[in-house]
Amino acid sequence: MAAWDLSVSVEELGPDAPPLKISVTSDLHIGGVILKVVEKSQIKQDWSDHALWWEQKQQWLLKPSWTLDKCGIHADARLCLTPQHKPLRLLLPSGVTLRLRACFSSPVFRCVTGLCKLLNIRRPEELSLLWPVEEKKKKKDKDVEEELYDITRAPLPSSIIPKLANGMPAFFAETPETEAVYKMLAVSQPAPAPETIAKLYRSTNITEKAHINSRWLDSSRSLLQQGVKENDKLLLRFKYYTFHDISPQADAVRLTQLYEQARWAILLEEIECTEEEMMVFAALQYHIGKVSLTEQFVASCPAMDDLDSALQCLEVKMEGESSADDMLVSSMIYTQPKRLTLKGYKQYWFTFKDTTISYFKSKEESCKEPIQQMNLKGCEVAPDVSVAGQKFCIRLLIPGPEGMNEVYLRCEHEQQYSRWMAACRLASKGKTLADSSFSSEVQSIQSFLAMQKTTPSTNAAQTDESINTHSLVSPRYQKKYKPKQLTPRILEAYQNVAQLSLTDAIQKFLQIWQALPDFGLSYIVVRFKGCRKDEVLGIANNRLIRIDLSVGDVVKTWRYNTMRQWNVNWDIKQVAIEFDGNVNIAFSCVTADCKIVHEYIGGYIFMSTRSREQSNTLNEELFHKLTGGHEAL
Amino acid sequence: MNFSIGFTDLNASLHDLEDNDLDALMADLVADISATEEKFATERDTFKGSAPVAQIPSQPQSNFNLIASTDTSRPATSSNSIAAPPPPPTSKPSKEELEEQMKADKIKLALEKLKEAKVKKLVVKVEITDGSSKTLMVDERQTVRDVMDNLFEKTHCDCNVDWSVCETNPDLQTERAFEDHENLVEPLSTWTRDTENKVLFQEKKDKYEVFRNPQNFYMWKKDKKSLKDMKDKDKEQLLEENFCGASVIVPDLEGILYLKEDGKKSWRQRYFLLRASGLYYSPKGKTKASRDLVCLVQFDNVNVYYCKEYRIKYKAPTDHCFILKHPQIQKESQYIKYLCCDDVWSMTLWVTGIRIAKYGKQLYDNYKAAVRKAAGSATWANRTIQTSSNASTPSPTPKAKAANGHASHPAVETKGPGNQTSFPPPPPPSMEILPPQPPDPMLPPPLPAPSSTTKVNKFPPPPQFPQSSIPPPPTDDLPPPPPPPEDAEQPPDFLPPPPTSMTSYGGAALPPPPPEPLASLPPPPPAPQNFASAGGAPPPPPPPPPPPAPAPAAYQPTNSVRKVAPSPPQRTTPQLAAPSGGDFMSELMTAMQKKRSQP
Repeated sequence: MAAWDLSVSVEELGPDAPPLKISVTSDLHIGGVILKVVEKSQIKQDWSDHALWWEQKQQWLLKPSWTLDKCGIHADARLCLTPQHKPLRLLLPSGVTLRLRACFSSPVFRCVTGLCKLLNIRRPEELSLLWPVEEKKKKKDKDVEEELYDITRAPLPSSIIPKLANGMPAFFAETPETEAVYKMLAVSQPAPAPETIAKLYRSTNITEKAHINSRWLDSSRSLLQQGVKENDKLLLRFKYYTFHDISPQADAVRLTQLYEQARWAILLEEIECTEEEMMVFAALQYHIGKVSLTEQFVASCPAMDDLDSALQCLEVKMEGESSADDMLVSSMIYTQPKRLTLKGYKQYWFTFKDTTISYFKSKEESCKEPIQQMNLKGCEVAPDVSVAGQKFCIRLLIPGPEGMNEVYLRCEHEQQYSRWMAACRLASKGKTLADSSFSSEVQSIQSFLAMQKTTPSTNAAQTDESINTHSLVSPRYQKKYKPKQLTPRILEAYQNVAQLSLTDAIQKFLQIWQALPDFGLSYIVVRFKGCRKDEVLGIANNRLIRIDLSVGDVVKTWRYNTMRQWNVNWDIKQVAIEFDGNVNIAFSCVTADCKIVHEYIGGYIFMSTRSREQSNTLNEELFHKLTGGHEAL
Repeated sequence: MNFSIGFTDLNASLHDLEDNDLDALMADLVADISATEEKFATERDTFKGSAPVAQIPSQPQSNFNLIASTDTSRPATSSNSIAAPPPPPTSKPSKEELEEQMKADKIKLALEKLKEAKVKKLVVKVEITDGSSKTLMVDERQTVRDVMDNLFEKTHCDCNVDWSVCETNPDLQTERAFEDHENLVEPLSTWTRDTENKVLFQEKKDKYEVFRNPQNFYMWKKDKKSLKDMKDKDKEQLLEENFCGASVIVPDLEGILYLKEDGKKSWRQRYFLLRASGLYYSPKGKTKASRDLVCLVQFDNVNVYYCKEYRIKYKAPTDHCFILKHPQIQKESQYIKYLCCDDVWSMTLWVTGIRIAKYGKQLYDNYKAAVRKAAGSATWANRTIQTSSNASTPSPTPKAKAANGHASHPAVETKGPGNQTSFPPPPPPSMEILPPQPPDPMLPPPLPAPSSTTKVNKFPPPPQFPQSSIPPPPTDDLPPPPPPPEDAEQPPDFLPPPPTSMTSYGGAALPPPPPEPLASLPPPPPAPQNFASAGGAPPPPPPPPPPPAPAPAAYQPTNSVRKVAPSPPQRTTPQLAAPSGGDFMSELMTAMQKKRSQP
C-alpha cells in the first residue's frame, strides 16, 4: 500500500512549530499514528491523555483501532495531537471562578458529570454549561482582576477520586489552599455589595430571560467541537429545575451552589417575587450569611451528626435549666392608640412572666392586682424603632374576641428593648423566657439594631454582624427603600427564621423559591406554525406553556403526561409535538437553537424517569436518546 | 374559664356525658390518685389492712413525696360530697367504713390533682346532622382526628373522609371545618364564656375534594368537561407533583373577588392572586406582575371561614363569602378580611387554595390518614360485623380512645406492636382474677398497678418518648393483663372498662399526640387498610387478632406516613391549669354521684 505524508501538529512543540510530517499508509490505525507522532516529537512525557483532533472536520479521532481509511483521512487532513483535558475557567453559581481541567473530547454531558465529580456535586445531570454573557469591554473594567482559584492539579475526573470520610474529595485536603477552596464551594458566599448587584442587574423582560437560554452548550457534542478553547470561561449552572434526592449530609456543595443560584436569581430578578417574599428572602440570606460565619460547615458523618444533635440537646437542656431569669420587670411607657385620637403615653410598671405581660401603676403596686394582663400567645409583634431618634417601640397586636388590640410599649433604651422584644416574640409563639432560644433572640435583635447604626459604606460586604440591607434585596427595592426603612421589614420576616440551622435555612430558602409561581420556567421565544408574531414558550419540569409576549399572560398549558411524541425537523428547524386528543403544535425557535428546546423537553422527561429508578447509576444512554439530535440517531 | 362547650352550665354537660365517659373521667381521676396510694397506705398503716401495703411494692415511688406534700393541705370543701360515693361498677362487694373513707380521700385527692393537672380537658357537646348531639370529653392533646375517631364510635356512622368537626359562629355567621391535625381544645378555649358558637359533626364534601379531583383545582382554567374523566393515574401524578415535591405548589388562582373595604359597608372589586406566601391583589392600573402586587393578608395567623347569608348581613354582592381572621376574634372587627365570590365553585376554589397555602403537605397527610381510616372501617364493617357492633377500626391513638372509655373490641385489636406480640392475643380475663392484681377494694375500676405510676411524673411527658420504643423487658414473661410499664409514660390513663384493651394496647399505648419520633412503633391502623388505600387492591382478609410475625412488616407503610403527622402539642407552659377549679370540682362530684346512683 502506498505510503503518504500526514501532517500532525503537536501542541507541546509550541504554536509556531511546523507540523510534523509522518509517513503513513491508509491501513494504519489511529493508535499507530499517535505512536509515530510521539516518537518523532522526541518529547518524553505522559501522553496518555492525548488524542487526535481533526481540525477541518471539527472532530476527535477517539477510536485508536480505526484505520485512517475508515476515518476518511487523506493527505490533505490537518490533525493535531492535543490533550483531551484542558484547563477551563468555570464560573460557579456562587460567583466563584475556578480554574480546572475539563474534558474537551467527550460530550458536554459527560464533561459536566466529570466536573461535578471533581467538585463533589451529586446528580450532575441537573447541571450544564453555558456561555457567559458577552461583556462590553470597558477600559476601567480591565483593571479589575478576577479572582481565580486554580485546582488544575486535581486528578482527572475520569480517574477514581478518593474521598475523605466527610465526603470531601481527598485532593482538596492536600494543602490548606485547596481545602480553603473546597470550603468556599460548600459555604455560601458573603452578601455581595449592592453595587455588584446593580452592576449585574439587567432590566429583565421575558425576551431577555429567553436570551439566557440561547447560551446553553449542546450536551451531545464535545467542548472543542463547540468552539470552546483552552482557558475559556464557561458558567456551570443548574439547568433542570427538578432537584432529585437532596440530602443535606451528602450535598454540601450541591445545596450551597443551588442556594447561590437561587439567591442570584432573586437578587437579579430573574424570577419575580412580591415585596413580602423579597423580605423573607432577605431575612434568610441575612441569617444564612450570619450562620455560615459561625457554624462550621459540618461535613457528613452520621456519627458526628448524632453526636452533634446529642450535644445540642444537652446544651438546650442545660440552658433551659440554668436560665434563672424567667421574668422581666421594668418601667415602660404604654399606649393604646384609639381611632384618630392618640391616647397619651403613660408610664406603668410592667412585668413579663410566662407568656403574659401585666402592668401596674407603679413598682410598689406590683404585688397587687395588675391593671391589665395581656397574654401574648398568638399575637403579632412588630418593631417600631429608630436608633437615630432613640425610639424603641414594640407594637403588639393582641387577638381577642372583639378583634385585635393594638398596644405600643415604648422602651427606654436598646438593652431593654431587645430583651422585651425577644420575650414578646417568644411569647407570641407560645414560648416562655425560660426557653433556650431567648438569649439568641436577644442577640439577633441587637445585631439588627447594630445594622441600623452603621451607615452603609460603599463596598461593605458582610464581614461580621454589620451588613448593608441593600445587599439582600434586588435593585428595585434598593431604589424603593433606604436601608433604614428596609431593616425593620427584614427584621419582621427574620423573626420567623432566626432559629433555623444553616441547612434548614438554606432548604427553607429553596422551598420558598420553588413555591414561586414562575419557578422552574425556562423561556424561549418561538414562532408557532401559522402565527405571524413571536410568542414565548415556557418549559417546566411537567409542562409547556405558551405565553403572549406583549401581555405576559399564559395562553395555553400542555402537560408532558398528555404528550404522545415530539419531533424535530432539523432542516427547517421546527419542533413538532403531538398531544393526546389529536392536539398538534409546531413552532420554530427564534432566540435559541431548536436543539436547546429539544434537549430541555427530552431532559425533563429523562429527569422524570429517575424517581422510579432505584439505582444511583446515571443512565447516560437514555439521556442521549432523549436529548440527542440527528447526529445521535 | 370554660370547662364545657355547648352547655349553659357545667352540670348539664356532666349529665350529658355518657356512662362510658363518666367512667373514664372517674377512672382518670382515680388513676391520678392511685399514684398517691402509697402515701395513704403509710399514713394508715397502723390501723389499715394489708391490702394497700401489698400494693406498694408494685409502684415505683420516685417523685412521690412532692405530691404527697402538696396534698396535706387539702381543702375540706368537697369532703362531704365525697363521703358517700356510689360503688364503682367493678368494685368488690365488701365495703367497710374504713375503705369508704379511704376512697373518699382518694377521690378528693383526685379532684385536686385534676385541678392542678397540666392536661386540660373540655366537655364538648357536638351536634350531629340529624339533630341529635353527643357529648364527649376532649383532652388538650387530642387532635381533631382523634376526636372524630371517638365520634365514629359513638355515632356508628360510616367513617368516610368527608366527616368533619366544624365550628360555627352565629355572630359572624361563619362555619369552618377543623383540620384533622389541629388540636380541638385550644381553639375552643378561646371562645368567650357566653358564646353561642357550636361544634358540629357533619359531612363536608369540600374538605378533601382537592385530593379526589385535583384537576378541578390545579387546572381550574380548563374546561370542566374535559377534566371530568381524568384518569386516576393522571390525578395521582398531579397530586405527586403538587404535594410531594420540596415545597407544596399552591393552585395558581387568580380572578376578581369583592373585598369589603375596611370599616365601610361597600364592597370593592379587586383582582386577586393566590400565592404560597399570601393573598394578593393587583391595584388598579398596575400589571399582574409580582412586584406590583399588594399583599392583603398572609396566612400564618389567620384561618379561613365560610360565611352564610352575607347578602343580608353585610350587603355583599352574593352569598358566597369567606372571611380570613385570627381564630380568637369572635365578633365583627376591622381586623377581619371579608371576601365575596361570584359563585359557590369559585368560593370553594379560593378557600381550598388558601388552606393548601396555609397547611401545605399536612393537608395531604390528613387526607391519607382519613382514607386509611375509611377504608379500614369499611373492611371491618364487612368482615367483622358479627363479632363487633361498633365495627370501627382502632383509632390511631389508643390513648385517645381510652380517654372516652371505649375499649376496642378484641376482634378489632390487631395493633400489638412487635415486641408485644408474644402475648396470647386477646384472652379477656377479668382484671379482678389476675394474679398480679393486688386485692384492692379501694380502686373503683380495676386499676392495674403500673398505670398508677402515671401520675408520678408531675409534668406531662415531653414529646419524645424514647422509652416507648424499647421493648419493655419484664412484660415478656409475664402473663397478659398487667399493662406493661410503658404505660407509665402517660399521664392520666383513662381506664377502659373491659380490661382486655389494656393488654392489646400494650406498647402502643402512647399519649395522643400521634406524630413523630415513635417511628419504631407500629401505628394502630391494621394492615388491611394500608393495602386498601395504597393500590385500591382488594384488601386481604383481616388478620386474626394479633398474628405475631407478619404484623410488624405489614405496618411499615403506615410508619412512614405517621412520621409526618401533626407536630406534638407544645406544652412548654401548661396554660390553663384549670384555674377556677374549686366549684367545678364539687359540681363534678355531685354530677358523678347522681349519675352513678341512677342505675
